[in-house]
Amino acid sequence: MTTEEVARQKKAIKGSSFRRFENFTVLSIFIAFVIIIVAIQVITTRALQFPTFISPVNLLNIMQQIAVPGIVAVGMTIVMISGGIDLSVGMLASLVAIVTALGISKWHLGTVPSIMLGIAVAVVLEMLLGYIISRTKVEPFIITLGGMITFKGIALLLCNSREVMMSGELNFLKANLIEGAKDPTSGLNLIIPPYVLIFLAIVVIAWVLLKFTKYGRRVYAVGNNPSAAYLAGINVKNVKFSSYIITGLLVGIGAVILLSRINVGIITLGQNLEIDTIAMVVIGGTVLSGGKGNIWGTFIGVLLLGSIGNAMNMLRLPPEVQFVAKGIIIILAVSTGDVYANISVYMSRMRQHVLGKKDVGEKN
Amino acid sequence: MSRKRKLTGLRKFDKKEIIRLNNISKSFPGVKALKNVSFDLKEGEVHCLCGENGAGKSTLIKILSGVYQPDSGEIIFDGKKVDLSPHLAMSIGIQTIYQEHMVFGYMNIAENIFAGMEIDKGGFVQKREMRRKTVEVLKYLKSNLNPDMTMCDLSSGEQKTVEIAKGLIFQRRVIILDEPTASFSASEIDNLLHIIQTIKKSGLGIIYISHHVEEVFKIADRVTVLRDGQKVSTYDREDLTREKLIKDMVGRDPSTFYKRENVPVGEVIFEARNVTGDGAKNVSFKLKRGEILGFAGMTGSGRSELMNVLFGATHLDLGEILINDKVVKQANPWSAIRNKMCFITEDKQNTGLFLEHTIAQNTIIANLVNTKKFFMKISDDYKTGDKFIKLLGTKANDSSVHVVNLSGGNQQKVVLAKWLNTNGEIFIFDEPTRGIDVGSKQDIYQIMVNLLKQGKAIIMVSSDMPEVIAMSNKVIVMKDGEVMAELSKDEVTEENILMHSIGGGKI
Repeated sequence: MTTEEVARQKKAIKGSSFRRFENFTVLSIFIAFVIIIVAIQVITTRALQFPTFISPVNLLNIMQQIAVPGIVAVGMTIVMISGGIDLSVGMLASLVAIVTALGISKWHLGTVPSIMLGIAVAVVLEMLLGYIISRTKVEPFIITLGGMITFKGIALLLCNSREVMMSGELNFLKANLIEGAKDPTSGLNLIIPPYVLIFLAIVVIAWVLLKFTKYGRRVYAVGNNPSAAYLAGINVKNVKFSSYIITGLLVGIGAVILLSRINVGIITLGQNLEIDTIAMVVIGGTVLSGGKGNIWGTFIGVLLLGSIGNAMNMLRLPPEVQFVAKGIIIILAVSTGDVYANISVYMSRMRQHVLGKKDVGEKN
Repeated sequence: MSRKRKLTGLRKFDKKEIIRLNNISKSFPGVKALKNVSFDLKEGEVHCLCGENGAGKSTLIKILSGVYQPDSGEIIFDGKKVDLSPHLAMSIGIQTIYQEHMVFGYMNIAENIFAGMEIDKGGFVQKREMRRKTVEVLKYLKSNLNPDMTMCDLSSGEQKTVEIAKGLIFQRRVIILDEPTASFSASEIDNLLHIIQTIKKSGLGIIYISHHVEEVFKIADRVTVLRDGQKVSTYDREDLTREKLIKDMVGRDPSTFYKRENVPVGEVIFEARNVTGDGAKNVSFKLKRGEILGFAGMTGSGRSELMNVLFGATHLDLGEILINDKVVKQANPWSAIRNKMCFITEDKQNTGLFLEHTIAQNTIIANLVNTKKFFMKISDDYKTGDKFIKLLGTKANDSSVHVVNLSGGNQQKVVLAKWLNTNGEIFIFDEPTRGIDVGSKQDIYQIMVNLLKQGKAIIMVSSDMPEVIAMSNKVIVMKDGEVMAELSKDEVTEENILMHSIGGGKI
């Protein structure tokens, strides 16, 4: 191979934006997402005359529905990239909601101090779990499972297994920021509450944190190979620890928003939240073994599961059918991801063979 | 046939040949592992295989156990030519007992022995029958083990006994023991040697591989010495002396070794004073700028463990470390990196690389310790990665390639890039060229010399004798975590190193 050819080959590879676009998985997930959305649109418009799935009013509706699981899923993404998992987020959200509701309506602490208290409870409890997980060799699965059961118990003790009523003290979180705007086709009111913006802001902040900071690089390294990370000078224990603290903060925020939406502190608020968020994160291309994953992938995963849930509600499918459909979608999404990964490994191996052969030719 | 022989008790055997290898050759890409090696084993004999690391002993036993197929030559078993596969080797009665135990930790001894080959009647396992056979054979081995003991409660010596018992129960013809005494206490070694003396009386052929010359002299009937994939000699026990053995194991032509440039040596940059920690005992040495200090010794001599202590990866119990004549506290790798130390580990896949990450991600990761900025650009990562690809001649299109797709030599270069990027001055290379093709080897030697030229210093652990001799200014020989000798450039010969690493210097 002449130097000219080498140069041309290099240029060709560098010129292609796909090689540098390392999050190819995100793109493929996005394409799948678009296909599914279009399919949903076709099905819903056939089945119902009105309202259609892709309409401003419904899209904003979806955003409201996915904000809370989305915020928690961002935390879960960070934990899972660093090689952990957190099953306790659902019950922790219930606990935080109940504590905040009690603070407002029973202990009369005032709205803001109650919110602070709720978020602080979430952070401290996740800190405890994170400390145990990072300092011992016990599986995070087991520790957070224990956390989940404990949090549920504490929450039920605090509210005497009853719901805690509120009188709309948190309504400022769901005030409409675009009061008076109407959907052009249907004439329905458009609503963008502040918490949707909080969700979007958290996504952007987490993206910057993982992608453009020293901390983010360390999180990926710890997840991929903890012993190599340790020898490369990364405090593996503290990185793991910090990922749980961040999750605690995000669960706290998510729980307060959840409370504002429902207006009642009740144990079922966070039910299945951990399952839903893990599903969203996994659909988004984050792997359970750690080291690989992406916030935008998670974002699309959140949108995807949220949209499907929304569409099935529009079609008035019973919840039983919805569970079946959601489960199948998760299995399909993850297994196609793996098939795709196998193909790309095979492709790159073939490429390497071609390169290797050329090298041999060069020597001869 | 011998299959019908009684399990225990003496049987008459006439020392006939069980297995013979004729002119076996085997090569791997870039290496000729065995060249025309012939070898034979008789009934009731202990045949020891000796040789340095990389002499071809493991390749030979892998051919005997059917894991590798020879490129040329023939294997004759009981007078018939055979093509061994792992399955065939097992069924004609060749059992290999590897250094690492392959046991089911939570099963008991009897279950372990019969795992996969349970005695059954219509699908129901005959526990009592299996237990009875186990008791019988353990009694024959004069072992006080109980068949109901759980495997993970046993010491490594006792686990070896169980594996030998398995060989007896299934009436094996040949038992291959690869470095069996690596983690044994002195009494366990005696016990094992005693068991071997017992079982060979029943007509089994035993192939025994060991670095420990004392053991070889105690049990061998014959000894074959390998060097660089060739058979040097076969001795009967009566004709063998320690001097002959060492002379045969070494004896490469030094003119074939890599010749490195001489680099002027500067002041002392690193000093260890009585360093004692996990696996290292009372080690002291000084390292100067522009110098390579080689660490030689057999596998398990505590060299890698010492390096972990020096780098702060495991705890320093006693002693102190000085860098530029100042005592430093290194409780963890990040403080070592801040003190300009670098650690290229032996097992690059498990402790050096992030395989699913890109070259760029791997290159920048260790230098994060020295990076003050919190926010970082991705394009800077790629620039750094590309810079080191060019500098080290890594064969990859650009730094967005995932490391898992690279060959061993190129992966090693990525590890080097990771450390060069930290601007370190004291480099620890643990087996820098293990499993690497010849071309990349030369590249890595050249990189090491370039580091010396910049006034940096290198500590090199290597089991590759020519490498140690060619590259080092001084060589420290270790055994059992202790320094046996510090050899200056003139004293560094294969014979000297081997002498000290098997403890010959002390006897």
